[in-house]
Amino acid sequence: MIVATAAGPVTGGRVLRRAVTGQTRYVVPAGLLATGHQAGEALVPVLIGVVVDEAVSTGSTGALFGWLGVLGAVFLGLSTSYRFAARAGERAAEQAAHEIRRELTGRVLAPYGGAETGQLPGALVSVATSDAGRVGAVNMAVTAGIAALAALVTTVVALLTMSVPLGLLILLGAPPVLVAAHLLGRPLQKRSAVEQENAALASGVAADLVAGLRVLKGIGAEPAALARYRVINRRSLAATLRAANAQGWHDGALLGITGVFIAAVALVGARLASQGAISVGDLVAAVGLALFLFNPLSVVAWVNGQLALARASAARVAAVLSAPPAVPAGPAAPDTPVRGELRFDAVEHGPLRIGDLRVAPGELLGVVTADPAAAGLLVRCLARETDPAQGTITLDGVALAGLEPDRVRAVVVTAAHDAVLFDGTVRDNVTAVGGPTAPVDAVLAATRVDEVARGLPAGLDTAVGERGRSLSGGQRQRVALARALAADPPVLVVHDPTTAVDAATENHIAAHLRRLRAGRTTVVVTTSPTLLAVTDRVVLLDAEGGTVSGRHGELVAADKRYAATVLA
Amino acid sequence: MPNVLPIASRAQAVAAVRRLLRPRRALAAGSLAVLTAATAVGMLTPPILGHLVDLVTRGRPVDALTLPAVLLVVVAVVQGVSTAIGIGMLARLGEGMLAELRERFVERALALPLNRVEQAGSGDLTSRVTGDVEVIAEAVRAALPELVRSVLAIGLTLVSLAVLDYRFFVAALLAAPIQALTVRWYLRHSGPLYAAHRLAVGAQQQQLLETVGGAATVRALRLGDQHVDRVTRRSWSAVDLALRAIRLITRFYGRLNLAEYVGLAAVLVAGFLLVRSGEVSIGTATAAALYFHNLFGPVNAALRLVDDAQVAAASLTRLVGVAELPSPADGPARPAPVDGSLKIAEVGYAYQAGHPVIRGVTLEISPGQRVALVGASGAGKTTLAQLVAGIHQPDHGTIMLGGLDLAGLSAAERRRTVAVVTQEVHVFAGPLADDLRLSKVDATDDELRAALAGVGALDWALALPDGLDTVVGDGGHQLSVTQAQQLALARLVLADPKVVVLDEATADAGSAGAKVLERAADRALAGRTALVVAHRLTQAAAADRIVVLDAGRIVETGTHDELTALPDGRYATLWQAWSGSRSRPAEPR
Repeated sequence: MIVATAAGPVTGGRVLRRAVTGQTRYVVPAGLLATGHQAGEALVPVLIGVVVDEAVSTGSTGALFGWLGVLGAVFLGLSTSYRFAARAGERAAEQAAHEIRRELTGRVLAPYGGAETGQLPGALVSVATSDAGRVGAVNMAVTAGIAALAALVTTVVALLTMSVPLGLLILLGAPPVLVAAHLLGRPLQKRSAVEQENAALASGVAADLVAGLRVLKGIGAEPAALARYRVINRRSLAATLRAANAQGWHDGALLGITGVFIAAVALVGARLASQGAISVGDLVAAVGLALFLFNPLSVVAWVNGQLALARASAARVAAVLSAPPAVPAGPAAPDTPVRGELRFDAVEHGPLRIGDLRVAPGELLGVVTADPAAAGLLVRCLARETDPAQGTITLDGVALAGLEPDRVRAVVVTAAHDAVLFDGTVRDNVTAVGGPTAPVDAVLAATRVDEVARGLPAGLDTAVGERGRSLSGGQRQRVALARALAADPPVLVVHDPTTAVDAATENHIAAHLRRLRAGRTTVVVTTSPTLLAVTDRVVLLDAEGGTVSGRHGELVAADKRYAATVLA
Repeated sequence: MPNVLPIASRAQAVAAVRRLLRPRRALAAGSLAVLTAATAVGMLTPPILGHLVDLVTRGRPVDALTLPAVLLVVVAVVQGVSTAIGIGMLARLGEGMLAELRERFVERALALPLNRVEQAGSGDLTSRVTGDVEVIAEAVRAALPELVRSVLAIGLTLVSLAVLDYRFFVAALLAAPIQALTVRWYLRHSGPLYAAHRLAVGAQQQQLLETVGGAATVRALRLGDQHVDRVTRRSWSAVDLALRAIRLITRFYGRLNLAEYVGLAAVLVAGFLLVRSGEVSIGTATAAALYFHNLFGPVNAALRLVDDAQVAAASLTRLVGVAELPSPADGPARPAPVDGSLKIAEVGYAYQAGHPVIRGVTLEISPGQRVALVGASGAGKTTLAQLVAGIHQPDHGTIMLGGLDLAGLSAAERRRTVAVVTQEVHVFAGPLADDLRLSKVDATDDELRAALAGVGALDWALALPDGLDTVVGDGGHQLSVTQAQQLALARLVLADPKVVVLDEATADAGSAGAKVLERAADRALAGRTALVVAHRLTQAAAADRIVVLDAGRIVETGTHDELTALPDGRYATLWQAWSGSRSRPAEPR
């Protein structure tokens, strides 16, 4: 499944809304249950007051057990509500993030491409993990927000029923207290954020030194590196301490202001109680509720912050999802059966220029470019990762740009120089593309992957690790070439397939390449003389789009420029 | 693969923390005292509130209520100020210890023998220095102050309850067994579950990196569906574990709620009985109940932090494991190698017993000579180079460097004499000049420029946005693979060693880059004894002597011209195939 182009532009708002509406089944119950939980928490101090009033002051055992029973019921209710609210909220958050992750992956891999243009893989992955997570977490914020509002209402009602003046004092007093604490904290926190960044430097530099450990040891630079790290570590410590101090004063201020506010509530409440306007129990409950009130109020502030983060993340998700395609998705499919004739007509794309070139069906063609960047672009154009800015490339007389990219790739298999292996065994990688009739054994022998496998602990069934990292560069390159050859397509394009392979093996590969590709079109983009020597014909592309063509041996002797390019 | 880097035991970790704590005893005691005072002052709030209640019930005049209210204000201000000071002191303690530990870790990591690093892979070290340090830093920054304050609050609240009447304290303790059992039950389940979750998140991250990083390959080979499936599977397994974790956490809090209820009910009953028997006032009973209610927050916080503490402790053992490695003692000063001559005599080496990779290799290289190693993959080129670099010790035979046995040289001596440039490309994050100065700390700007010019890198380096001050590497200006390799060679020039082992694959740089690098290496090696692992035959052709290895043995040796003249010689065959022109004489170099 590949995500189809969305009907209409994908905006951050839409991503965010969908993250919540897609999880309605969980968010709504979670909100209701969280409300129940908050109400229960608010009732606890009220009930403490009631027990004091009705049982402790009166000495009535019946009232004591009656109210303790009520208290137990409230605890049961708040505990159960919390349990299921948290579970539903978490499920909504995780599932929403999962959906976004899947959608992003689909978009990045979509045949028409374009999502990763101008983005580093690490940045895209962080969109799929951190940003997806933050968008998903908006479900938690919604849940908590609903509950906080409900708690606020409950507290308001409880306070106003007890005493209007006291209730009003608390209700009107608490928000300014919170705002004051916030205002007081803001400059501190802003400073703290800058210091935190400074503080993170020590970890970053340490990781960088460890990552380059082999390089450091190679030139004996360990003492210099350590001396440098010491300086940075101490500077970082100083920054961290400034941040911690700022945080400490913020916390202290919040504590102080809250305490002063509670003192005011207690004084007013006590005066009202001594005048008989409220009961002693009401006084106790009011002080408890005044303290409790800071809870939902700070949750509201937290929800606000979460929403701001989620909006920013959703915008990044939307930017990837709505990235313009790299190539238009033409509707047509290549003609079958595929003859495998390629034609380049007045193609211009950056440094790549090809005035006129025809690759005959079944030909084994070597392509040498004076500019290495042009070689990469040629392969990308044939893979339809990009279309040439000018001119046309045709396959069997049909323009590639008019074809469905995925269908082109079914016929024209390209093995870019930087093609990667994927997690799995050597065999998995080699057979990833080829059908059941793929000439796997012949390919393994031709690329000497069989020899590679003999040196591995489990032979062909050895796992290659993430991106094939457990293999050496030369081994990876051979497996990647084997994968392309095993695909056995009508047209195969390979780019510098043996740069990390030793000369003896390269020789072997060159000798077998011809036989394996007999009768099918093969384009080898390379400057390796070993490979070029076995081709039917070599084309040298110059910077102006001109071509010189001939057999490798003839060109080496006849064309100075060619000889200089392929023989260092 | 066995765990190559050590992990400390709990006891060792505790000992290490003690060692870090020792010079900071006064600070530790001071911060604890200040925070205790802050918490203790806060404890005065409920009795003052209780006193207010008493004044009201006793029908005292309204004016009598002012003094307690003023006291409440004083308590709040003192508590705020002392908390701020205490948190600052605690940070100085914790962060100072962490910084020292971090420094020791980096020191020991840098001193690790290379073969150990090769075996372990740099992944383990990197994850310790980033992930584990991060975990501990977070614990020190957030969890430590919260834990200390919570524990102090709990302790002092219990004391206050006891001061009101010891029977309140006894009643409150009824909650403790439930809490203790809950924590034990929770820890039994949470450790493995969180570990599994972290693994699943890591696997998801790796899969995304592989899929997104290889997107062009995925598209070219039409593996899109397969990869969306892989990502979906890994993502879902992480989601599934997160949901299992939240179920565990909610059950944990459910049990703590039960403990809260039991304790609160017991305190209320105690108050009821004590008021009825006239032993305490209603105000005191109220204060006791409020004390207990105030415990909910700190108790939950402290118990929740037990979990963080476990994770931090695990990370600590991984940091201490490396940080407490014995420091490599540089032995007594010995005579330095006299020159860059290299004598390899009858050397043999096997990674696994019975499978020798190098067999009876004998080779003499005079000072300043450049020797290229040629052979198929697996012929032993890189292993031989690593033996000379001192990364591995030969099983048989000796390697003499400037007249001294390599095995007898200390790390520092070897470092000064032999430099290794490998395929690994790393640009150190920071200004370009700082990167270069790693190999010569006191190098002048002119020396840096000369080194860059020597490897043909000065032009692009000066063209960078801020010239040599341009921040490069991770998070800075991205250098191309070719530029990064040139930088490695410039470092080599600055380090100015007598002997160089060069095993750099120029493959990643593409053919054009390879040529630039070969020219750069040529200049960087001038005047030094060099052992070059030849990845391209042009590298071999440029050497003074070529050594062809096959299955760990030397099978041919000679100059380029001598070897190409051998009929059916291995090197000659390779060269002919490579140069692709059997009819033409070999290119002059």
